Amino acid sequence: MTQEIDLSKLPPPEPYDKARDEAQRERLMATWAKPVGWRHISAVNNSYVGKWYLLTSFAFFTFAGILALLIRAQLAVPNNELFSQSLYNQLFSLHGTAMMFLFAVPIFEAVAILVLPEILGARDLPFPRLSAFGYWCFIIGGVFVCGSIFFGVAPDGGWFMYTPLSSNTDYSGLGADIWLLGLSFIEVSSIAAAVELIVGVLKCRPPGMRLNLMPLYCWYVLVVAGMILFAFPPLIAGDLLLEMERAFGWAFFDVDRGGDPLLWQHLFWIFGHPEVYIIFLPSIALIATMLPTFAGRPMVGHSWIVLSAVGVAFLSFGLWVHHMFTTGLPEISLSFFSAASEAVAVPTGIQIFCFIATMLVSKVRASVPMLFAGGALAIFVFGGLTGVMVALVPFDWQAHDSYFVVAHMHYTLIGGMLFPLFAGIHYWYPFVTQKAMSDKLGRWSFWLMFGGFNVAFLPMHWTGVMGMPRRVWTYDLTDGWAVLNMVSTIGAFVFAAGFAVLAVNVLWPRGKAPYVKRNHWRAGTMEWAAEVPDKPWGVRSIPYIHTRYPLWEQPEVVDEIDRGEWFLPDAEEGKRELIVTDILDARPLYVQRVGGPTFLTIGSAVCLGAVFILATFHLWTLTLMFGAGFIAFTLWWLWTGTSEIPENPTKYAGRGLTLPTYAQGNRSPGWWAVFITMTGDMTAFMGLVFSYFFYWTALPDFFPTADKLPSFGWLLIGTALLLASWLMCVAARKLLGQGGRGRAMVLLAGALPVGGLGIGAWAWSAYTKGLDPTVHSFDAMVWMLILWLFLHLLLSWLMHLYVAARIWRGICTPDYRADMMNLTLFTHFLALTAVVIFALLALFPILMGVS
Amino acid sequence: MRYESDKQPGPYGPPGDAPRLIGQGSIWIMAAAPTIWAVHFVASYVLAAVWCAKIGASLVTPAWIIAAMGLVCAALIVWLGVIAVRRYGGVFVIFEEITESSERGRDRFIGHVSLLLCILSVVAIGFTVIPGLILGSC
Amino acid sequence: MRRIFLLGLPLVLGACEGRHNWLASGGAEAIRVEQLFWVLVVGAAVIWTLVIGAAVYAHRRQVDPSLEKQARQFIIWGGAVIPTVVVCALLVWGLVILRDITTKEGDLTVRVDGERWWWRVIYESPEGDVVTANEIRLPVDNTALFKLTADDVIHSFWVPALGGKMDMIPGRETELTLTPVETGSWGGLCAEFCGGAHALMRFDAIVMEEAAFNDWLAHEASPAEVAQDDAGLGVFLDEGCGACHTIRGTEAVGPVGPDLTHLASRERLGAGIYDMTPDNMAAWITDTHEMKPDIDMPPYPNLDGARLDQLVAFLMSLD
Repeated sequence: MTQEIDLSKLPPPEPYDKARDEAQRERLMATWAKPVGWRHISAVNNSYVGKWYLLTSFAFFTFAGILALLIRAQLAVPNNELFSQSLYNQLFSLHGTAMMFLFAVPIFEAVAILVLPEILGARDLPFPRLSAFGYWCFIIGGVFVCGSIFFGVAPDGGWFMYTPLSSNTDYSGLGADIWLLGLSFIEVSSIAAAVELIVGVLKCRPPGMRLNLMPLYCWYVLVVAGMILFAFPPLIAGDLLLEMERAFGWAFFDVDRGGDPLLWQHLFWIFGHPEVYIIFLPSIALIATMLPTFAGRPMVGHSWIVLSAVGVAFLSFGLWVHHMFTTGLPEISLSFFSAASEAVAVPTGIQIFCFIATMLVSKVRASVPMLFAGGALAIFVFGGLTGVMVALVPFDWQAHDSYFVVAHMHYTLIGGMLFPLFAGIHYWYPFVTQKAMSDKLGRWSFWLMFGGFNVAFLPMHWTGVMGMPRRVWTYDLTDGWAVLNMVSTIGAFVFAAGFAVLAVNVLWPRGKAPYVKRNHWRAGTMEWAAEVPDKPWGVRSIPYIHTRYPLWEQPEVVDEIDRGEWFLPDAEEGKRELIVTDILDARPLYVQRVGGPTFLTIGSAVCLGAVFILATFHLWTLTLMFGAGFIAFTLWWLWTGTSEIPENPTKYAGRGLTLPTYAQGNRSPGWWAVFITMTGDMTAFMGLVFSYFFYWTALPDFFPTADKLPSFGWLLIGTALLLASWLMCVAARKLLGQGGRGRAMVLLAGALPVGGLGIGAWAWSAYTKGLDPTVHSFDAMVWMLILWLFLHLLLSWLMHLYVAARIWRGICTPDYRADMMNLTLFTHFLALTAVVIFALLALFPILMGVS
Repeated sequence: MRYESDKQPGPYGPPGDAPRLIGQGSIWIMAAAPTIWAVHFVASYVLAAVWCAKIGASLVTPAWIIAAMGLVCAALIVWLGVIAVRRYGGVFVIFEEITESSERGRDRFIGHVSLLLCILSVVAIGFTVIPGLILGSC
Repeated sequence: MRRIFLLGLPLVLGACEGRHNWLASGGAEAIRVEQLFWVLVVGAAVIWTLVIGAAVYAHRRQVDPSLEKQARQFIIWGGAVIPTVVVCALLVWGLVILRDITTKEGDLTVRVDGERWWWRVIYESPEGDVVTANEIRLPVDNTALFKLTADDVIHSFWVPALGGKMDMIPGRETELTLTPVETGSWGGLCAEFCGGAHALMRFDAIVMEEAAFNDWLAHEASPAEVAQDDAGLGVFLDEGCGACHTIRGTEAVGPVGPDLTHLASRERLGAGIYDMTPDNMAAWITDTHEMKPDIDMPPYPNLDGARLDQLVAFLMSLD
């Protein structure tokens, strides 16, 4: 449909007309206005959701920080009886859990949701309602997990939840279930955010912003969201296995029944180590964004930073076993991970050196954000150097699980993540509020935190050398750790005081303070083009970008945007509109309409939250009821808010550019969202496949005798039927494209019983051979794989019926069939899953000579 | 400066968005070199794990297999590097200013980053080969 | 409650300082890591100073475009080449140390089983296994091979002064070799969080001259020297202690808890956390869960007066 558009040869804008400008502004304002009063919570626009996200994450940070202070208070003196053993175990478990899952990852999403669209000169992210849904999931899950400590049932097995401590219900109680279900729920919202951010970076760039012109922040967001997509799913798979063992006694981690506790550690750290970089990279991205501003010149080695972000992202998936150096794996296995852990220092170092080189060739303006950035550098480099130490296996055998590692980890996370984040808070505060923060308080908070941090954590290295293990609630005077711990405690409280100053500085009401000037820091990136005071529409008209630092290199663009000379300056139809562009060169593809304020996402999130919370207490009937509620709300939301047939197939976007108003297949963000989500889903599935092979490697008698294998014939029949149901869906897509609405509906409905018979044949193949998931890990694994496909099949049936209904109601038509194409894409992944499961259950045992 | 490729849409078609394979006008080359590292890494890990669990305690054979795989992978990456230079116009510079707003500029940027990633990946593969040369048994 | 007993311990700060110190040079393996440690620390200090110094210099100086060339060299050499060479060298050194400390043959074999929250210790000797608990004695200059297992959850066996740690994982047997080079009493502890009383899961590692060690092991192998009509033994059996504990040479053969055959010969009580004194022993029996919360052993608060004294006296006689 769309031909190549030479954006540099667009016709000139129409002459400025004040009346037109005002009328357009009024219509834009009406379209993008935020809901008033209590309805404010139904807002979905990125500037509101982003702000809530940010504040909520900081609330959890404060909560987890208070837990840290309680921990330090307990350890201040030897033989302290301030807290009981049981409460202390909850305190540190919840501290780690909340900091990681409720602060460090969500804050990345919060900042990205808040500033990414503006940096991209876009009005919003491609799926605003999805961000709102993710936010509500996050707050419900977070409150549930944190609130548990007030009832004394917080998770107490550490944030890493090692089995069998966490899998055996004799050793762990409700806390473990709360951790598993509460966090799985939050992981879902993280993945939702990741999908949205990837699509946002790839498809919602302003026209002309080719990959080589994309700001560094966007590269980092892309890389990190991609990492989330490959790192979180294995943990979800692990959570599923662990909860199945806890709730239903399936044998995955119990050694007496052919399970293996180390499997959990693998699945956890395949998530857990990339997680560290998922936290670190977006914060470094903040520095990479603000440093050019204060240096007044483009970043030196822009592409080198892209290299190191991509390189770190890949290498970080080869580090996970360095958390398992002391588990007695063969030394050669440990060594590979030691090697990768050392290698990752190289790209990380390149990033840091590019920053310093940028400062070297420019005159850096001193400012509070740069002060925090400098503190970050000093702390992080130190943490990186101790990281090189603990990456060496013999060194780690001493340091592992001692306070040396506690110190190392806090140096990397606070230096690599928290200080850059605080720098970012100071940097973007004027962007979000249009008011200036107090520099004096800023410097106070910096020095208190910087000093307090080093007093708290520098001695901790030595505490570790003196042999103090982690996660101990008490120690004796004769251990010789008393003075060091007292110093650390004092430092921790100073650090907390610094954070309190920062919080006051951020939250101080500045209603009457003057607005800052536009582009407060004289930055070069697009978010500073926003008008002061800002408008809810994000950007008045969407400009054509052909430089890396548009506000420096295209200074006229700000006035052009304001005058509405660029694309989509108006909202005649009263719809929220974005321009979707192509991945490589940001050529405009079509105008996307996104949803406005709604309560449906809240209803959906509340129901899903209730499902997870009620499942914790094994209240299955209520769980099912809320599950139905969740499905109902979600379908309602999709039905009314997505893939609507536009009133006109095309729309004039301004400057001689007419764009389609509907897209399907790989032109539409929806298709990409399905593709990316299913990539994540396949990663979770790969977690299960890994588990299967892990058992096979680790346990000599994993495979039963041939007569206890699921029957080959039934597996083959089941697979054939499942593939047939997939082909019916593919055929339905084809027929619909040719105009055969009725036949498409019949095929879609017919695919249900065929798929049902297929999965039934699979279940029968395991059932007839007497496979019992509570008896042995092989049986449990077989049933798990069947269950995995069954759950996906249920979801796909729902989607089949949804699409069939849309065809029936004329919302999905031969010309406008995005829903049908997305469904087919989903079933492609299902077919692949079915084939892999067949290979695992039917072919691999034969290959290994079992039959 | 305008390049030949800017004048026409090129053989890779209009801006539809199907994931393109390696070739001019695709970003997959950026992921290719680190992916080869990842494949070599996982293969080495699996080989060693299965060898130690199922076959024997001496590591001499797997160490040579890992080194040989490393050579093959490094050769593949060198080939990718040649593509990055020849087809994408990637260059090895630090103060890169590949900021032209053109398809060629975007290609040169991707080529440049891919070239850097090729170098990093080869180094990382070298790191993976080292353990086998030092440790003699499981 | 607990504090009161602990106040009885020697209060001089530093009296036993460094019992858990990695840098105490107590074992050959620890010494290898100690050398690595100091090189790394000094190297890290130098690198940190150079990097941060460069950053401060870059921030302070005036703009000078002629520096672009230096900046280029700075990224190439400082950011890429030198770090690669340094970490590569460190990797090789680390692997060589790893190879050296894992390929030693053991002169004696000790099986240690991690329990919640104590240590079952079994010496393998030609005359058969010698069972003890919560204290490990080793002959100096001999390499001990530890075979580590766990029954319930994951624990980790660590004597920092002698060498690195190794996890004890249910369903697996892990191995660790330690070669003590100095006599003395070192602290050992559980390094992997194992729930509940993880903090109170300790033991003593006592390194002795070889001859003394052999005498000790022979004594440890012998049954307890108890009169069968000992009043304390009567209390012990009446209260059912024998259902969980073993005292070789008596009817008590319970396999669940620590072996008590030579209990009083150990330096500490409760898995390395209290001095072996009659007062602590009495408190351990009556206020068990205040001494060590969450453990499986039930308290015997009703035992008092003469019966408690008899029991304590009996237990303290098991040397």
